[in-house]
Formats: sequence, C-alpha cells, structure tokens
Amino acid sequence: MQQLDNQEILMKLKSQKQFWDIKKKIKQGFSDQQKIGINDIQKFAQSCEIEDQLIKLISHILKKSKKRETLKEDQIEFLNTSKIKWTELLFKNLDIVHQKAKNQEEDDTNTDSKLYIYDEKNLLAFLQTFKQQQPSVLYQNVQFQSNKLLNINIPLKSAQQILDKYQYILLQEELPEEKINKIRKQIENEHLDTELEKIAQTYVPNGERCLLYLKYFEFDHQETVLQQNFAKLQKECSNQLFFDELLEIDGHEISEDTFYFVFQEQILTCLKCFIRDKTIKENIRIQLQNGMKKEHAEFQLPVTGFFPFKNISKYVAPLCYLSTKIHIIYALFKEFFCRYFCFLHAISSEYNSILSLCMQIEEIVSTRSPKLFHHLKVIGCDTLKLIIHQLIYCFVGDMDPPHILTIYDQIIGHDSLEILVILCVGFLNKYKPKLLLAKNYENVQQIFQELREDKFQELVQFAYKQ
Amino acid sequence: MQNKKLKWKSDFEKSVIIENFVNRGWIKSQEKEEESTDWNVYWATVWNVRNIFNPKNGFRLNDQQIINHFPNHYELTRKDCMVKNLKRFKREQDKEVLETFNFDFLPTTYIFPGEYSLFVEEFHRNPNQTWIVKPAARSQGKGIFLLRKIQQLKKISGTTVTSNMTQLNLASKENYVVSRYIDNPLLIGGKKFDLRMYVLVTNYKPLKVWIYNKGFGRFCNEQYTTDVAEIENMFVHLTNVAIQQYSDKYSQKHGGKYSIDALKLYVESAYGTDALQRMMDDIHNIMLTSLKSVQAVIQNDKHCFEMYGYDILLDSNLKPWLIEINASPSLTTTTPVDKNLKMNLINDVYNIVLPNDDFPDNEQKQQQPTKVGGFTLLYDESLDPNNRKTQKRQSVKIWK
Repeated sequence: MQQLDNQEILMKLKSQKQFWDIKKKIKQGFSDQQKIGINDIQKFAQSCEIEDQLIKLISHILKKSKKRETLKEDQIEFLNTSKIKWTELLFKNLDIVHQKAKNQEEDDTNTDSKLYIYDEKNLLAFLQTFKQQQPSVLYQNVQFQSNKLLNINIPLKSAQQILDKYQYILLQEELPEEKINKIRKQIENEHLDTELEKIAQTYVPNGERCLLYLKYFEFDHQETVLQQNFAKLQKECSNQLFFDELLEIDGHEISEDTFYFVFQEQILTCLKCFIRDKTIKENIRIQLQNGMKKEHAEFQLPVTGFFPFKNISKYVAPLCYLSTKIHIIYALFKEFFCRYFCFLHAISSEYNSILSLCMQIEEIVSTRSPKLFHHLKVIGCDTLKLIIHQLIYCFVGDMDPPHILTIYDQIIGHDSLEILVILCVGFLNKYKPKLLLAKNYENVQQIFQELREDKFQELVQFAYKQ
Repeated sequence: MQNKKLKWKSDFEKSVIIENFVNRGWIKSQEKEEESTDWNVYWATVWNVRNIFNPKNGFRLNDQQIINHFPNHYELTRKDCMVKNLKRFKREQDKEVLETFNFDFLPTTYIFPGEYSLFVEEFHRNPNQTWIVKPAARSQGKGIFLLRKIQQLKKISGTTVTSNMTQLNLASKENYVVSRYIDNPLLIGGKKFDLRMYVLVTNYKPLKVWIYNKGFGRFCNEQYTTDVAEIENMFVHLTNVAIQQYSDKYSQKHGGKYSIDALKLYVESAYGTDALQRMMDDIHNIMLTSLKSVQAVIQNDKHCFEMYGYDILLDSNLKPWLIEINASPSLTTTTPVDKNLKMNLINDVYNIVLPNDDFPDNEQKQQQPTKVGGFTLLYDESLDPNNRKTQKRQSVKIWK
C-alpha cells in the first residue's frame, strides 16, 4: 500500500478546493492581527470547526491514496475451490458457444440465438450446488437452514440491520424547489466522498447526477485523460475478438427495450472497449473468475480477467442517459462495474456478493412472509428463482430509467448493493396476493408478463409491509 | 359517474376510439348512413366535418352533439395554410409595440407555385443549403424529398426545371411547401428523431389549450449523415413511422418510439435542468403562437374541439422547430406502450370535453381543474386576456 509523507499530503491538499477555502477562512479570521502564533491558529480552528474540516480532508486524501487491492482469495476456502470449478465450467460453455457460432456460420437456418457463456440462472444453479463442508469454528453459531435454496454458512448481516439501514427512504418526501437548489449548489461545491454519499442517499437532481458521479469517482477534472484512454480502446476495437460477436448478440435484447434502443450503438461500443481494457483487472474490487490460463484452449479469459455474460449490456444502458459523451458514459460504467456490479458475478462471502445478497433476501422473505416463501417452494418456484434476474441486473428492464438511476444513487450513497435486497423483498411483497394464487410456474410467469410498472419508492414501501 | 348512454359514431375503426366509447357505456349509433345525425359524440374524418358544416346541407348540430374537428381546421393543419397564417400573424405582431410572440421556430419556407421566384433567389444566395419539399395537403411522408439542385423540381413539375426559370408549373394541382432543411438535428445514438406531442383545443375564442404529458420521439433506423450520397435515403432523414416501418432495422417491439419522459430525462441529465426548461418553454411557445396565428380565422363552434398532433424537431442546440400540425394524428397503435398511451389520451380528451358525460356550459367550463388525467391546461385566454406572458410562465410551472 502506498504511504504518503507530509510533503505529499500537503501537495494533495493544495489540489483540493476545500483546502483553499479553509485557508481563506483562517486569513479572514486574523485579518487585523500582525503577530499570529500556532496556538492562535489552533484555537481559532477549533472554535469554528475548521479543524474538523481539515481532519476530514486529510483522511479523505489518505484514504484515496491507498490503492484498494483486488480481492482474489476468499476467507472461506471452499469458495475459492468453487470459483475454480465455476471458471472451468465457463470455459466449457465457451467451447460450446464457439461451436454453436461456427455451426450458425455454416448453416443459416440454424437460428439458435443462445450464444452466451452464462446467464443469471446458470449462476444461481451453480450457487445451489454448494454443500456445507467442514463447519468452520468461526461460524458455529450460524444456524444451518435447510429450507432455503442456498445452503452455506457465511457471515451475514441480520435482516433487521438491513431493514433499519434503509428505513429512512420511507420518510423521504418530495422536496421543495429551494431545497433542490441547495442540493445543486452542494454538489457543485462538494468534493469529499462522505459528503457526496450523504447527498446520494437523500436526493440527486437529474441535472446534477452526472457531476455527482464524476466527482465521487474523482473524474471531474480528468475529461481529457478519459477521452484519450477511450480513444485508444476504440482503436483496438478494429481487431475483432470472438467475444465481440457475443456482445453484439447480447445487445439485441437491449435494442428492443423502449427506453434503451436509442443507445444501442453506444452500449456496444462501450462493451467492446471494456473487454479490451487492461486496467480493469487492477481496478476491479473482486476477481470474478479464477484467472488461470487453460492450456490448448483456443480462447482465454479476456484481459479483464472474466468472460462477458448474458445481459452485460444492461449495466451500461441506464448510464447512457447521463451524458452525450461516450467516454464519460464508459468511465462511469467502468467504475460502477469495478466497484459494485462485479460482486454480482463473484463467488464470494463478501457482504456485497451475489451469495450474501441472495441469502439475505431468503432470510427476510422466509421470516417476514413465511406463507409466500413456503407457497413458492411448494409450486416449484423458489423465491430466488423468481427475483434472480431483477437482483443481478439491478432491475434494469423492470423499472423505468429514473428509478434505476435512483438505485444507482443509493448504491453510491451507501457504497453497497444492499438496496437491491430491499427492492427484491418489496417486489415479492407487491405481487404476493397474485403469487399466492398461482398454482404453478406457468401461472407465475403469466403474472410477470402483464404490463407492469414497478417504482423505486413503491417497492421500498412494500419491503416494509408484512 | 360515466353512465350516461350517449350515442357515438366513428369514421375510424380504431380500437383506441371504439374501446374508449364502449368502456364509457356509450351506445353505437345504429343509423348506417354516412349522413346519419343520430349521435351525441362523433369522431369524424375532416371531410365529413366539412360536409356537416357545409351550409348547403342545412344541418345544424344540437346542444347534445360534439365533434372532433373545427370546420376550417385546415388553416392550421395544411402545411401551406399554416405557413401563410404564421407569416401573416408575424407581420401583424411586428406592428405591435409589445413583442409577446417569438416566431423563430419556423424554418424559412416558400409555398409553391406562388413563391417560386422568391425561393430561387434564396436558393442562389445559399447554394449549399439543403431544402425539403413537401406536398401541402398530404401526410405520412408521402411525396417528400430533399432538394439540393433546382433540377430536382422536375419531380413535381413534370418537366425540366432550370435555375433561370421565374415560375414553376406544377404537374398536379396541389401546392407544395419548400423549407430550409434542418441539417443539424439533435441526435441520440447517432440517429435523427422528431417529437410527436398532443395538444387539445376546446375553444378558439377565447383560446383554451391543453397539453398532454405523454408523447414520443420517432426515430429513424439509420445513422444520420449529411453525406450527399445518402440524401435520398429516407430511412436516414424522414422520421414518419409510415416510412421507417419498411426499414430492415424496424423493431415491432418499440416501433422506433421513444417516450417524451425518457427524452426529458436524457436532456435534463445530459444538458442540465435549465436547458430542459428552455426547451420546454420554446415548445410551448410554438404551440401557443401557432394557435394564436389562426385564432381570428378559425370558425369557432361550441360543438367542436380538436386534438392536434404537433411534429417538432429539435436541433443540436436543443432549439425546437415546428415541422407540421396534424388534425388527425394517427391512432394506430404499433406497440403495447403505444396502445396504452393512445387509450389514455382519448379517455382524457373526453374527460375534458364531456366531464361526467355531461355537455358543460360556459360556467362549468370555467370551473374545470387545470389538470385532467394527462392533460394540463397550457393556456386559457378567458382567465386574464391582458396578461398572457404571466399566464404562460404559470402554466409552464404546472407542466413541469
């Protein structure tokens, strides 16, 4: 980890607007005095909270200077083994997909469009195969639940903790114009990520969302760099990869979506650049697949370290609303993926991982809506199978873009994907009356085929209803 | 309660009209003849409306009848009449001391054959300008083409046209309008689109205008280009669904239609809240100015209302331009979302013109709320005829 000396800290402080604001305040406080001692400055700083602001600013700089290491190994050994198995399975799928693609080229009548390496159902099915291995001494008190789809002992937050954390959303009301203007000014002036997170938790005006995200990811003064990096990646796209074909096929579904079809070309360009981006491997928070090289395999993992999967386009799509500049859209997508969405595809016991989120959903539904939980199991339609699509793709395609962007705000606001747990629970509660009448999986599918409009605030409210 | 057994008649076999009437418990008029008069509610073609109001027919509508067009709607909805009325209104306004209307939304336009020589002068002044030629009274993109050379006018004259000709004889009797082509449209995903927005006028004197909160952008299927080689590629330049549906890339799922709500989110997020507000203010100005331009000429009749389809093009500076106004905007539905929109649209129209299935008197009309379903009152001249600017700002806030 990188350590900063005092000189480096001072240099970084001088690059922050807030530092100069603080300095100005101190100068103004002593404008009349000629002799100023260190004690005078300290007393003054303590009296008007400047000292706190400075401490926050220095902590922020130190935090940012620490390079976050990509999580490669999990604390639970069998999950590491499982990741290897998952990667092997994906290599096999890749061979099958490649063969299908070849057959399609040779035979035009073969219209098998299932050309993807894995989808959310495959991932859930794989997670289901985990068996409790040697009980860990650390988790002896964790109850082994046999009625759930996922049987594994990993540290989980309690259901109540998660529900309590997001309960404030229920109290959020429509803000008056003057408050919204105040928030706008805050976003323009604020730089600290803790403060930006607070804003993101509360309310983000549409016109300032892009700026907030760029500031949070520290891209707000780096447009030229982003543009240059993106241009380099675009140049590399002229060398066709097999995965490009899979991305084009994946883009077809998003191209049929009434909210995202207009961005089809941009989405595809972003994804083609993404799978060529060598910096992803060092920036991603968690390793998705075990980065082993397969001998004699025609294809290896892309330079990102993971295979593109079905519906990867969905992660890019909502961000296309935020800017007319593709390099900005790309930069935002890359950050969101490397910080958050990667966990939705990683075999891990981390609190943000798909495993944790799934288990938390099952926990909440089984304890707060046991009738629904049981009924779904009886008709062969487990809770998780019902909402896995919404969970993994953050409701993209299920909610209109303004609500998706609110989800993204909350993800940044809490630096966490847990909001998805609340929304999935809310989703199930909303359709509970109809689901309880369903007699089989086909009935359930019919319920969700009807034209529906799910909204963020509404699902949160349903999450807290019992 | 909507349980009055009104009789309806429709010249259109459109589900969004018929289902709406049936859902209200209204009864279909049983008279088979086209000239039948046994109805309360009539969704008519423009030609039948003209016949009904033709004094030679001797037919007078009674107090329990309402129809969906004003007798001479074409003053607004024929392209040549719209241009003529806007130009006349502008001349009148230029004489006024107080400038309250902005006319900078109509591209430079000439009406053929009458203004051909004026066009030629302008054409020579700007030889690199592209023009768009449209028949004045047709729809769905029929007969439209882009013009870069005078010789291309042979398409409409039937004979060779040269640049030194001072008049143009048209092969058919119809007029044409020739407008400066907006060659820098706002693009999303590299594709051109225009907006279809709905406006309901329930009265012209005094003017009462409602604007619908749902509409859509109609996208071209091909990437936009100003390349001269693609000037005749209608899939690049013409946004009409009637044309784009023949593109290989046309999707049945979305029909190339992008909701106004999504567009507003995009503009606000990518360009800022102020930019969105300015854009919407300019669009409202287009609607009000165009309606005001025909206020004096439209035959106002208490039995009439009209739901217009406004076609508006945004340029790369987010400036809206008026393309045309449709008296009979298409009620064909191409997708489930489209059907939902149009069902609600027609439902809300009748909630305004026949609240609770009643024929409201003037006092009841005055007391109507400013928001009914998806419609918001954009302008009501009867409220404060001397303070149009203030009213416009207020109504814009309602819209947002």
